[in-house]
Amino acid sequence: MMSDLSSLAGLVSEPSGEIDSSASNRSLRLAEKEKRKGEADPFGLAVKYLSQVEAGTVVRGNDELERNMLVVETVALSKGLPPELITVLLDLALSLNAGTVNCTRVLKFLVPATVVPQEAVVKGVSWLCAGKMPMNAQVLFVRWVLTVFDLIDCKDNLRSIYGFIFSFVTEENLCPFICHLLYLLTMREHVHPYRVRKLLDIQAKMGRQPFLTQLLALYKVFRPDLVTLSLPSKVRTGFKNHSSTWKVALSAVQRKNKGAVLVDQSLSLDVKEKPSTRKRKLHHLAIPPLSSAFDSNSNKVFCLQELRSFKELLENIHSIELPAQMGSLLGSSLALHYLDCVQDESASLRLNFWLGHSLQEEFLLCPGDGSSDNTSEARRFLSTILFSQQFLQEGFSSTESFLYKFLSVWDGSLLRPQILDLLSDIPLMPSVYMHKLLFEPLKQLYFTSTVFFKCSVIECLNSMLVKWLTWHSVSALEGGLDISLNSNSTMTMTLSGFMDSVMELVRFVGLLASEGLRLENCHVLLLNQTLAFYETVCDMFLKYSLPLIIMPPAGVFYPALFATDSVSVDRLGYIMYRYRKNLTLAKKQEQQREQTFHISRNTYKEFNRNLQAMVNSMWNSCWCIPGSDIEIDKDLISLSKVAEPWCRFDLIHHPALFSYAIEFHQRCWPERKNVDLGSIKTGKYWNWYIEFLFNQGFDGLNNFIQTNTGHGSGLSSQDDRQPTSQT
Amino acid sequence: MEARGSAVNTPASRPVTRRSKSYGRSCVEAPSYFWQTPGHLTVLKIPTSRGAAKSQLITDKVDPEHIALLVKNEWKLSYVTPLHHFRHTQLKSYSRHLAAFIAAEKQQGVAVEVGLEAGFKVTFTAVLGLAETDEDAETVFIQIQSKPAFAAAADAPKVVWRGWLTCVNGDPEYLRSLPPDFVSLPLFCTSGAESLTTLVKTWFERAFDCNFGSLALNSTTLNWLAALWTGCHPTCNIRHLKLAWSLPTQPPMDVSYTVNPQDAWELWNSIHPEESTDDKIDIKEVQSFISGLETHFFRHFKIYLSAGTLVKVSTALGSAHLDGKIKIGNSDYITTLLTLLTESALLKMPT
Repeated sequence: MMSDLSSLAGLVSEPSGEIDSSASNRSLRLAEKEKRKGEADPFGLAVKYLSQVEAGTVVRGNDELERNMLVVETVALSKGLPPELITVLLDLALSLNAGTVNCTRVLKFLVPATVVPQEAVVKGVSWLCAGKMPMNAQVLFVRWVLTVFDLIDCKDNLRSIYGFIFSFVTEENLCPFICHLLYLLTMREHVHPYRVRKLLDIQAKMGRQPFLTQLLALYKVFRPDLVTLSLPSKVRTGFKNHSSTWKVALSAVQRKNKGAVLVDQSLSLDVKEKPSTRKRKLHHLAIPPLSSAFDSNSNKVFCLQELRSFKELLENIHSIELPAQMGSLLGSSLALHYLDCVQDESASLRLNFWLGHSLQEEFLLCPGDGSSDNTSEARRFLSTILFSQQFLQEGFSSTESFLYKFLSVWDGSLLRPQILDLLSDIPLMPSVYMHKLLFEPLKQLYFTSTVFFKCSVIECLNSMLVKWLTWHSVSALEGGLDISLNSNSTMTMTLSGFMDSVMELVRFVGLLASEGLRLENCHVLLLNQTLAFYETVCDMFLKYSLPLIIMPPAGVFYPALFATDSVSVDRLGYIMYRYRKNLTLAKKQEQQREQTFHISRNTYKEFNRNLQAMVNSMWNSCWCIPGSDIEIDKDLISLSKVAEPWCRFDLIHHPALFSYAIEFHQRCWPERKNVDLGSIKTGKYWNWYIEFLFNQGFDGLNNFIQTNTGHGSGLSSQDDRQPTSQT
Repeated sequence: MEARGSAVNTPASRPVTRRSKSYGRSCVEAPSYFWQTPGHLTVLKIPTSRGAAKSQLITDKVDPEHIALLVKNEWKLSYVTPLHHFRHTQLKSYSRHLAAFIAAEKQQGVAVEVGLEAGFKVTFTAVLGLAETDEDAETVFIQIQSKPAFAAAADAPKVVWRGWLTCVNGDPEYLRSLPPDFVSLPLFCTSGAESLTTLVKTWFERAFDCNFGSLALNSTTLNWLAALWTGCHPTCNIRHLKLAWSLPTQPPMDVSYTVNPQDAWELWNSIHPEESTDDKIDIKEVQSFISGLETHFFRHFKIYLSAGTLVKVSTALGSAHLDGKIKIGNSDYITTLLTLLTESALLKMPT
């Protein structure tokens, strides 16, 4: 390498360079080769040239230098420069070897392609300390560092020369930029009383400058015990030091090399406190900013606002200090990750006091003035809580108790989506409380509200049930491991207690749904929400390992069976199919090991009755349901003068499927004028029809028919029309 | 399928642990802690009976100078959630911090070093002796004096704001349930410029992760005060029992009703005889006392006071307004009043 360089130095006519007279032919040949290669790669050559510019080089009129500079400049601005070149060129520029003019010129095209090596910047600072650079070059250098700051590969060494960098705050011209750089570098360990005092001296001299204020505000965040400051809501915040031409070049290059660098800024620190809106006197709905606790002085611990990435969080997870206000954790997802690990009862109490207080003051104690401004703020706040709870997959206890209070005074329309979402996060509770705290207020709202509200309530309770069941299946799989450390924050509940709660909830929804469907004339949306709920219920054993099977009440089953839309009927088919699967498995297990659990005879009876009703009406075209109390008097039906009433709900005549039968009929007998649906039932047409029907996407019905009649689509003949299901 | 089967094997009696982990205690885990009235769910039960007000020479327990500070002003009430990491031993440093904070807030955008004298002098004082039980934290009194920049050296600094945090006979079960790093001083009384009150509250919220809310009293509390104060008449002249009602008429009507102290006492004594062996006063007795007064008023003016709201009660011992303003007239009965107010404040605590 050394010889390469020296021979190169000879080739380019550098005034200070001398050709090694003892160079052999061989090295001449090599040099020749190198030269050719260099011609092929003028950029490499130019770089090599520039890396060797030494102090005292004549700059004025140096065409060689100018030419090479131009080559590198062009490449740099179009493709960016690799890390090692950044080091070389930065050194060239700041050492002033190529002159002051070229110093600024190099800085201006110093666009990194990927990252900036930290050492380059550290060395740059040492040049700054040498004090030879003219002021405009100094400023330009610091601004360059600011522009590429996010691309510096690692900042720990830079942080360790914090003191050197800090010393430049006294330079009036540099001060704004140095403050910004310090702002980006400052950790709590850097905040010392003498630095605070220095900055305050400068503040006294220069007045309130935004850059000083900003840095001091950060100092306050880290050490509220040393300095205090209040940012007026109108103040211009943020540093405006980025050069836009650089930024444009940089982002263009970065776009080209997309994916090469990931700027990691998940927890951006914001010293600007939320502007307290003048309109609202009571602003209890603001998430407080992250700030150090007031009496913490230990430098050994990390505070959350110092963390920049998930990796840093993991590395320091044991030495992280909680912020002054626990509520501030809800502001960022990184902090929420941490909250998930916090096992401190006081911390959770603080969070819950704050949250409970905010909710109570906003919704319970201060009757809302109904202004839209107010509602949007409240909506934002509730959405933040929702986000946090979903992130943690658990509700806060203060939200829970707030909801119990709020439900009894809620009008059912204020912030409905948020309130219902929060409601669905309510954790499991003993069944004795459910009635008073949850069902009573909800029932009142449900029966006095529109069908859409009814749908939302059913949807909400469905989601609540899913969360409870998921929780159960997770904790059951964990093998009864007691995760909770603190007995105060643990609620112990037996499995049977849990089943009681689930049963209560399912029963309650059954009641709401059947009454709701009656009141709303089997509204199709409500019916579908209800069926969605029963899709959860029917699979509780198989999907969530909960040995509990609850059948839908007649008020849900029959409206679904006789629904006029095919989706509901298909869903019912699916639900019945899943019930059968669950019951079959339950029975099998019950026979294998006697006392695992017991599904009552009644459940089987209920299921069979529903199954028979469904198979009879849809498949067997008859209505008799033996032993059922809803048999209809034959004479009464004949009064309706409906022909062949028993087959009105079979797969051909069912109001939900009728249109498919017509379509099938038209396809089979396009020439026929008189539609005779009865002819579908004969011979191969029946199998074809069944196949046609199931090809329309009625998988639920398909499964139901297949398991309960043994009729695979197109597989068996008409003779198979027998219900074979008597579990 | 097998894994699922095995989960089902679990005997039904195996306890299932609700993993509420770190997000707080469940509000339904301790049934004894749980009472609900519409729109209101508290960890505390509202007492239906309490002891009669007893005079005690408070100056025996508490520095008379401190007591004098509490007696002369009208106080605006707030409630505070428990203070985290508040230490009575750190009051000096709190004084410095609050002073710096106020100075910084007053000159927006200028950073202020903590500990430098800057325009405001804040003093935190512990008022020892007001606490009644071991669970009660000692009262803290805060005073803010302003030092105008151009004041003459001889000018005494002017007191611009006063406030105190207190807890008297706070529900022991509630106080004991808090972890040791919390100090509960649920009642906050302030007197002075509203802007300073806001600043002090903000500072406390940041320093001790607590929250303030205004404390309005309810009619029941005022009824209690009327009865308890009247009951004191034989030992200490209450001079008058002044009650103010607001009636929901159009336009609204305010009724001021002053009762001769002796008459009021006789009415009270007929309901709750002085010589009764039971020291406890029941809420029913209080209600019949108030309705007795209302009936009397109706007889004269044909106005049903019960249709309106009692908004103010005042005697020589003190006064209390529905919107949360009180005055302490006689320090010897301060404990009764503060017990009632502490209770009201604790009832506002978010669960």
